[in-house]
Amino acid sequence: MTDQRQEAVPVVPVDVDAHNSNSAASDTRINQAGGLQIQGLVKQYPHSDHPVLNGISLDVPAGKVMVILGPSGSGKSTLLRTVAGLESMQGGQILMDGKPLDRHDVGMVFQSYDLFPNKTVLGNIIMAPMLVHKRSKEDATAEAMRLLERVGLADRKDAWPHELSGGQRQRVAICRALIMHPRIMLFDEVTAALDPEMVREVLDVIVELADQGLTMMIVTHEMAFARAVADRIVLLDGGKLVEQSDDAEAFFTHPQTERARQFLHTFAFERGHHAQNLDDQA
Amino acid sequence: MNWSFIAQYAPFFANAALMTIYISFFGVLLALAVGLVCAAVESAHVPVLRQIVRVYVELSRNTPLLVQLYFIYFGLPKLGVVLSAQACAIVGLAFLGGSYMAEALRGGFDAVPRVQLESAQMLGLTRIQTLSHVQIPQALSTAIPGVVANVIFLVKESSVVSAIALADVMYVTRDLMGMTYDTYEALTLLIITYLVILLPISIIGTILERRFDYARR
Repeated sequence: MTDQRQEAVPVVPVDVDAHNSNSAASDTRINQAGGLQIQGLVKQYPHSDHPVLNGISLDVPAGKVMVILGPSGSGKSTLLRTVAGLESMQGGQILMDGKPLDRHDVGMVFQSYDLFPNKTVLGNIIMAPMLVHKRSKEDATAEAMRLLERVGLADRKDAWPHELSGGQRQRVAICRALIMHPRIMLFDEVTAALDPEMVREVLDVIVELADQGLTMMIVTHEMAFARAVADRIVLLDGGKLVEQSDDAEAFFTHPQTERARQFLHTFAFERGHHAQNLDDQA
Repeated sequence: MNWSFIAQYAPFFANAALMTIYISFFGVLLALAVGLVCAAVESAHVPVLRQIVRVYVELSRNTPLLVQLYFIYFGLPKLGVVLSAQACAIVGLAFLGGSYMAEALRGGFDAVPRVQLESAQMLGLTRIQTLSHVQIPQALSTAIPGVVANVIFLVKESSVVSAIALADVMYVTRDLMGMTYDTYEALTLLIITYLVILLPISIIGTILERRFDYARR
């Protein structure tokens, strides 16, 4: 499965020179997906005895999808936010392809609806490339429309965020991040606030991106989605890495640690059909 | 009611209204600019500047406009700053209005969700770009009702400028009452003039409120 992904033609348009030139449409450029290395990451809030992240080390190879699982309060979101540069870190380092991570290479989509309410769908997407990459409006609009086309929202380009469903908003938020040509994308429980029938349309887009070889870190509670999209799985608990699996499927069928078994069982209990599966395979 | 008085002096009020509008317009504009800067400084917790803003806000809100105006008109020349009466009126209104606008806008800034700023940061926007493209538009949206109320308040307060011999509607009214003793007629015209100036502002405010309420939708 993972091999197929590597061979898939990268369609995500990425302009590698985006930061130092105002080169025009960059559809033909190859996506320079980056590999992420996290080494001994420690995150602790001042006046707190316990670190939120306690020496996390993990590796997301270029073009791979890492899904981060864990109970609430385990530090999953904090891990993503620290990689994003939204939180300070008290120890360790975060590298991309061996060099300190440039935050411009990171794209992120949040749980809550984070579209700018004062801009239309198109306005949301083209603002950053115009302001940050100094691209022309025509150029940015052309790429924005291609992205909207891909997530099936081209006809909503002039809509305001409040006129969209939650699922549509999240798809626009993904486009808004992609147009900045990130080398890694972070998804922080992007479907947690959605009605169940809208979860699918968002996750389908993420699966498509995975197939195109974009490096991703995903925090999610959707186990079926995690199982389908993940190349690698890590389980966090109490700010520590409990289990790390390079074989996502094996993590679900043969978890190595008791904690992972417990964790998966929680979900299995909530979802009858999974309980059946897990019991069968155990 | 002396109708001939109204026919005769109505044009005076029209002219004086222009003075009121002129001073109010620029005073409000300047007040908005001052308020925007103060609100941005306060919500961004800029050290030192923030304390200066606090002192200014308290000074401005807790002293009467008339006193502020006298200080600018009679006091500043002693320090070597000589302004025309019109400039004094505009600066006075801005000094008073700036603090009111700052308070109204600060509420707007505080209402912008943090994830909005984080999204802007993740997209690579600088702090200034985030301020001008994300925070200010959304803060204004939330703050419109308060800002409109302040605009109306400032236009009404502009009646004080008659104290430094500017021929606004209040000044003309007092003049005519002294000359003709047609007190009732003059005051009626005064009220009508203010209504003609302020009602459109009220209506425009309501329309703006509806048009730009995206931050709360």
